[in-house]
Formats: sequence, C-alpha cells, structure tokens
Amino acid sequence: MPSAALLLQSVILGLLLGGLYALLAAGLTLYFGIMRVVMIAHSAFLILAAYLAWWSHSRFGIDPLLSMIVTVPLFFGAGVLLQRALLSRLRAITLTMMSVLLTFAVALIIEGLLGYAFTGTQRRIQLGYGSASFGLFGARIAVVKLIAFGLAVVALAALYLLMKKTTFGWALRATIQHRDAARLVGIDTEKVAGYGFGLGLATAAIGGTALSLDTTIYPSLHWHWIGPLMAIIVVGGLGSVPGAAAAAVLLGLIQSLLQIPLGTTWAQTIFYLALFATLAFRPQGFFGGRLAQRF
Amino acid sequence: MRSPLRRTRWATALGVTTILALGACSGDDGGESGKDDPILVGISLPLTGDFSEPGKGVQQGYEAWAKITNDKGGLLGRQIQLKILDDQSNADRVVADYEQLIGSDKADLVVGPFSTRLVVPAARVAEEYGMLFVEPAGAAKEVFSQGFKNLFYAAPAVANDHYNLLAEHILALPADKRPKTAAYAAMDDPFAQGTAYGLKDKMEAAGIKTVVNEVYPPNTTDFGSIAAKIATSKADMLVGGSQYQDGVNLIVALQQLNYQPKLAAFSGAPTNPEFAKAIGNKTEGVLSPTGYSVDAPYESNKEFVEKYKAQFGAAPDEDQANAYTTGQVVAAAVTAAGCAEQGDCQKKLVDWVHANKVETVVGPLNWDQTGKPQGAHMIQQWIGGEIKIVLPEPVKEADFVYPKPAW
Repeated sequence: MPSAALLLQSVILGLLLGGLYALLAAGLTLYFGIMRVVMIAHSAFLILAAYLAWWSHSRFGIDPLLSMIVTVPLFFGAGVLLQRALLSRLRAITLTMMSVLLTFAVALIIEGLLGYAFTGTQRRIQLGYGSASFGLFGARIAVVKLIAFGLAVVALAALYLLMKKTTFGWALRATIQHRDAARLVGIDTEKVAGYGFGLGLATAAIGGTALSLDTTIYPSLHWHWIGPLMAIIVVGGLGSVPGAAAAAVLLGLIQSLLQIPLGTTWAQTIFYLALFATLAFRPQGFFGGRLAQRF
Repeated sequence: MRSPLRRTRWATALGVTTILALGACSGDDGGESGKDDPILVGISLPLTGDFSEPGKGVQQGYEAWAKITNDKGGLLGRQIQLKILDDQSNADRVVADYEQLIGSDKADLVVGPFSTRLVVPAARVAEEYGMLFVEPAGAAKEVFSQGFKNLFYAAPAVANDHYNLLAEHILALPADKRPKTAAYAAMDDPFAQGTAYGLKDKMEAAGIKTVVNEVYPPNTTDFGSIAAKIATSKADMLVGGSQYQDGVNLIVALQQLNYQPKLAAFSGAPTNPEFAKAIGNKTEGVLSPTGYSVDAPYESNKEFVEKYKAQFGAAPDEDQANAYTTGQVVAAAVTAAGCAEQGDCQKKLVDWVHANKVETVVGPLNWDQTGKPQGAHMIQQWIGGEIKIVLPEPVKEADFVYPKPAW
C-alpha cells in the first residue's frame, strides 16, 4: 500500500499533468468540432512551439514564456492558412479520412524540418527556476509545473469566454452544431472555420511553450503525445471542449496514480483502455459531445 | 525489411570493393612482410549509421595511437599503418569487412569496432582466423559468453562492475553511518541497467534494503511520478542507471520534490560537459563511475592527452581513450612477442595478453579467460562545482564526500 504522502504527491502531479493535457486536447477537439478534421499534426505543432521556445531561450536568452508573443499569432496565422489553403480543398464526403492523411504528412514535414534544423539530440530549457518548488501539506509543487498549469487554465478560460461571450464564439459554435443552419442565418462558415482552425493552433503554441518548461523535447516526440490526446477527445466526446478538458484532467490523474503500482511503461495504457471502453460502451463520449452520435 | 534491390546493390558494392582491394594488393609478393614494411592494422568502424558518433570518436583514438607510436619510431622499428573500413553500423557488413581485412588485405593485426552488436560478429571472424582481437567497446555480457579465446575488452570494467569501487567504499563505512535503504531507477537498456543492477546486487547482499526499483522506457520525458516514489520513500541512497538526458530529467524532478539523499550516483550523465548547466549547477556531491578521465595520473595518460590535443585540438573522451587503450594493449603484446604478422605470431600475442598486466591510459589492465577486464571504474564526485576523482585511493584528486551535501 503506497503511503499517504506518495498518494498526495501523485494526485498533485496528476492534476498538474491533466491541466496540460486539457489545454492540448482543447485544440484538437476544436478542429474536429468545426470541420470534422482529424488533426494528426496538432502535436507536431506543439513540439514546434516547444522548439521555438527552447531556441529563443538558448539563442537570445529570452524567457520561454515571452516567445508566445511571437508564436501565438504566428500559429494562429498558420492555422488559418492551413485550413484555407489545404483542408478546405478536400471533398466534404471524404474529408475526415483524407484529413488524416493530409495532416499526417504535415506532421512528418514538421518532424523532418525540426530534425534538420536542430538535429535529433534531446533538448531541455535550462531555467534558473527549473528545480524551484514549494511545499503544500507535505507534498511539493514545482514552480515550472505550476506555471504550465496556470497557462493551461488561463488559455482554457479565455477559450471558454471567447466561445460563450463573443459573436465570433457564437458563430463558431453554430458552425460546430449545424453548418448548414449556420450558413442559413448568415454566418460565413468558411471564414469562421479558418479562424477556428487558427484558434486551435494558437492553443498548440501555448501548450508547446508550457510543455517546454519542464520536459525534454526531440523531433519525434509528437508521436508520443498524439495517441493520448486522441484518446482524450474521444473519451470527452468529439467536438466538446469542456468534455475534453474534463476527460484530460481525469485521465492525467489516473495515469499518475497508476504509475505507483504499474510503473511508467504500463501506466500509459490507461489512455488506450479508456479509448477502447468509450468506443465499446459509449461512443458519443462520457462528457457531453452530442456531435459524435451522428458518426 | 531490406529490399532485394538494396541487397543486390550491397553485393555489387562489396564485390567492387573486394576487386579493387585485390587489385591494390596484387603488387605485393604474397603477404610475407619484410622487416621494414609497415605493420598493417585492420579496423572496421561504424563511421555512418546508428553508431557514427562514437564510431568517429573511436577512429580518432586509433589515429592518435598510430601517430604517437609512429612519431616515436613505430613498433619493432616498423611504422604503423591503419586501414579503416566503414561498416555503416551494420552487423553483416562488419563480418565482410574483417574477412576482407584479414583474408585479402593481409592485415598484420586487427582491432575491434564499436559496440557489442558489432564486436560479437567481428570477434567471430577474428577467432576463425586465429587473430588476436582487442576491442574498445563491447561491454555487455554477451561478448564474454561466446567462448572467444582471442578477445580482450580494453577498458577497466564491464557494465556490471562499474560501481565496484563505490560498493566497496560503502560497505567499508561503519555500520551506523552506512545507508540503510536504497532507490534504483534505470533506463530500459542493457548497459544502463547493468551498471545500476551491478551495484544493487552488492548492496542487497550486504543488507541495504531496496525501497524503490523503477525501470523506465528510453524516451521517457516526464519523471514526475518516478521522482515522487523515490522522494516519498526517503531512501538514503539513490542510484540511477542513466545515459544522459534521462539522468538530468530525473535529477531535476527530484530536486523539485526537495529530495535529499545521503548519496546519489548516476552512470553516464554527471561526466557530460553540459551536466552542471543542465541541472542549474546544483551538482554538489553527485557521483558517477567513469572509465576514463583526462586528469587520471597514469603515466601514459599525460602524454596521450597532450599529444591528442595537439593533433585534434580538443581533449579526448572515453571513446577515444578506449581506442587508444586498445592500441596500447596490442603494442605491448607485439613488443613482448617480438612479432606482428598473421600465423603463429598471433598465438604468441594472445598468450602474452592472457598472462600479463598492461599499463594503459585507463590504468593497469588484466583479463580473465573470457577476455573480461578485471578492474573497476574510477568514481568521480562533484565537489565545489568541479568533478573530481575520489576513488580509488591511489589516483584520487579529492576526498570522498559523505553524506552528500544538499543539492
């Protein structure tokens, strides 16, 4: 039986990890909601953002958090461009399947370019506050993990407000709910979809920066992330941002706790078990997501 | 799977190489080397492919050995000439290379390539031809369980023995000071695990309780949970079977949890030049076994470091040192036996190495019947922002610090 201290520490680590998962999964579920696009390259953009944060820090000594001033708008633009120039050209009838192929190619291109530019060597940002932490009821919370978690919370809250309180958010949600109806009431769904896509990639920029604070990065790392993220958005109900966030926190927590008895290697299987269980028993997802019922 | 086309291309390339090599040799009078001919040393190295990085290091070590020896008049009055082939980190290729080096190039001596995966097939060829086979980089136990009689590993110790000096030192501590519990975390890799488990076996036999024993996949980037287990176990000593980045990540994760062991040892990571910076200079007291140190006061080491720097403009590393050591072992045997050619001479060389101790840049080396070196790695410790040799006693640069200061 693990000690209470270990349990508490694992719960804290799990929640911090879950917060990061939530932010990363939010973008992924957005693409699917808006366009029925399965965006395999999401985690590749994530690693790209992490590399840009690392590079600006090691090259110019800029705090990685400041790199977001450039990467967030850049990724938003890249997202709009990607959607308008490539994905919108796919035929609606085969869109979901072909988008897998197309974004798979994009992921490979990003991975290859990262390897070309920065080699396959593992990189880690060396921060002055990298190992700083503070105590909480006998457990420790690392400052960098808390910053990453904070970034995730702020970004998710901003996304939530954007979706609920702004005209653009209404248009976006209308497009997610029923594209044709949205068009009938005068929403330019093409434009909205482009911006929505940009929004998804902007979350990848924030997520990548958060990721880079406390982990090693290497070009092929994105394959390590895409599986769990896909599992999270299915469990959360495809297209549902709050669902993805809830599933992410829950699965992050379970993963962290499972590492106590099972070890690092086997604890990862929780994502695939959860994916399997969802598809077998509740394909529409456990946290909202009426959308998936239609597929 | 390799395609048939590629295989054909390989065969063609090999054929052409062989023909060219034969052509090059046709001027010779059949291999009977005269007294003033250079000694031809045949080597195959992974200069491209998976092991190209260490492969090039080994190449520099061999080149340094040839140059330093030749500048001093060569061996038995003959100059050393290296013939280096590229095996592309491929085990099939390495076999063909040594066949060629021994069979058609009539190399007088052969020495080993890099890494267990290539050393084993290469050693088999050398064994068939009855050649002495000293190698710089096959440390896994598979190398010594094949029944090779001509093979010698030119380094102080195999993976399981890296921590031997540390183990002796810990067990020599008075009972009340000795650590009582230990945590182990090792990468899922034969070499990294070998180092940690070699120490674990000895500690367990001495009654030091294992409270955490974790194995993680090579690409693990999040060490939070492993660190949580170790930190909450409050183990007195921590042993990491690490390479580089994993060791750094684990240490940072442990520091985040404010874990303060009495002793912390990591294979691989702490000897890396980037290490201190990577963990924010919180290195105090960290231990690491090392097979080679530029500061080790062995007689030939000073000469090696100085001349190596002059030749390559940088200090040698462990790969270079092990290749140089290989050369030293072969040279000692050749000098003692008074011959360097194929045939009966090789038997004399092998017998001499089996029976003798050789002084090298990594210290005195001798071997058991399987070719396994009988030494242990030096132990280095981070003291006052620098890494210093603390064990064994005769070569230490500083006293062993225990218990470890807080990091």
